[in-house]
Amino acid sequence: MSRHWKIVIAILAVAVVIGAVSLRGLQRHLRRLAETQAAEEKARHEVLAPPISTPTDVTVKAKIFWAAGPDNIAPVEIELPLSADPVQRSRQLLHALIVSPPTPGQRTVPADTDLLGFYILPDGTAVADFSDTFSSEMPSGILSEEMAVNSIAQTLASNVPDLRRLKILIHGQEVDTLAGNVDLTGFFDLNSAPQPGPGANSAAPPSAAPEVKAH
Amino acid sequence: MFLPLEPHAHANPDPLCGESQLTGLGRRVSAILFAVKNLVGAFLLAAGALAMLPLFPAQTLGQPAAQQEVPPAAAPEQTAVPSQTAAPSPAPSGPVIALDPAHGGTDSGARGPSAVEKDIVLEIARSVRAELERQGFRVVLTRNDDSNPSYDDRAATANGYRDAIFISLHISSTGTPGAVRAYYDQFDTPIPPAVVAAGASANSATPPGISQTGVLTPWNEAQRPYSTESHRLADLVQIEIAQHFPASPDTSSGVAVRGLRSVAGPAIAIELSSISAPYVNSLTGAAVPLASAIARAIQAFRAPGAAGAR
Repeated sequence: MSRHWKIVIAILAVAVVIGAVSLRGLQRHLRRLAETQAAEEKARHEVLAPPISTPTDVTVKAKIFWAAGPDNIAPVEIELPLSADPVQRSRQLLHALIVSPPTPGQRTVPADTDLLGFYILPDGTAVADFSDTFSSEMPSGILSEEMAVNSIAQTLASNVPDLRRLKILIHGQEVDTLAGNVDLTGFFDLNSAPQPGPGANSAAPPSAAPEVKAH
Repeated sequence: MFLPLEPHAHANPDPLCGESQLTGLGRRVSAILFAVKNLVGAFLLAAGALAMLPLFPAQTLGQPAAQQEVPPAAAPEQTAVPSQTAAPSPAPSGPVIALDPAHGGTDSGARGPSAVEKDIVLEIARSVRAELERQGFRVVLTRNDDSNPSYDDRAATANGYRDAIFISLHISSTGTPGAVRAYYDQFDTPIPPAVVAAGASANSATPPGISQTGVLTPWNEAQRPYSTESHRLADLVQIEIAQHFPASPDTSSGVAVRGLRSVAGPAIAIELSSISAPYVNSLTGAAVPLASAIARAIQAFRAPGAAGAR
């Protein structure tokens, strides 16, 4: 073998070794970033919107509605300190819904969503005001938007008996749609008769899942 | 990733720059090293591309990774169209079908790794229109280019006809790949008596948007009197869809779909899952079985004696 070929092979070998080492390091770095992303989101939420605690908090088994598959939501019972005050109780529930899904795949509301305000009008209308990210980071689609709205409404309906209907605002404003499909100009009734359907709970008995209807 | 190339490149200046000063062996070595530099660069590029592939799975919010692995068996079934499609087109008759490809223009709708909803639904709508017209239906599109008419403008396309059926076509961001769902608009708040009267007379000859008592219906309430009709049509469509697309549910769903609210007539939305499917290109192949399902459902909807027959 000529000297030139030896040089060529040596250079190639060195290049391959350096390339492999640098690629593997980059791969590890990206993997670490992906693993810590979920934890960072949770930590950020805990700093920005710390769990609400009130003097009347009692730890109860709350039903939180998360995704139970790609097409439907179902209640998950978790122990949660909940206030006797319906406004604070609702805020605690929505905080848990956004921050604590058991797995990332069960998330229905975008991770960066913040609950900016929550009010209850004298007629039992709940007004939930979410940050822009609820709309901007929501994957567009009737199914995904319906699951998000239903998870919010059914979580409230199952744990706060005083609420009659829900109005969703985005950054203090009434908007046409959540992400191009589901109408947010009206109200979502929280105390109607149960009725099965995609997006609604299919795992729990009908009595455990009050149907949420729009308008 | 490509840092190793830099010192290598500096150690071996471009042979073209100093060619006149090189002789014999030096020129050959220089040419070989230049070739090696290009070879190593190409090798590292290829290796880098291969190594990066598994780092960026196509994930969407709320969707488990496992769902990316759904086998192609769940893809829409390419059902043969009834033999009547081969026959000469009959003269258009029956109700007008207003097909609405959702979104458009700057509103892309659902976004996938290789496609966006607005383009696929337009392609599907054109194919469905051609298929329905071959079966004798009169079909109009709410948009036939990359424009984005307002919700009310889209509804107006259907509202201009007395007996139109409005069908909005969508692709979802999530959901079981291969599933297709029919939706009707759901209203639940107490409704004014005048609008109730309009609903009771939905089958009468009163022009759309005007109740028998002469009270004008607001645009965003136009669909309310037709809720029952739309629900029945959505159920009929869903039954037909379930036969062509096995992953689909058996019953339709009531959801507050903004695109249906201004339609003064039977109106449904059909959503195919999903834009994130690895075989998203096969969605356009759903047009023929979808048209077949729509045609059969409308025939049942308009059958003599049926509630929606006219």
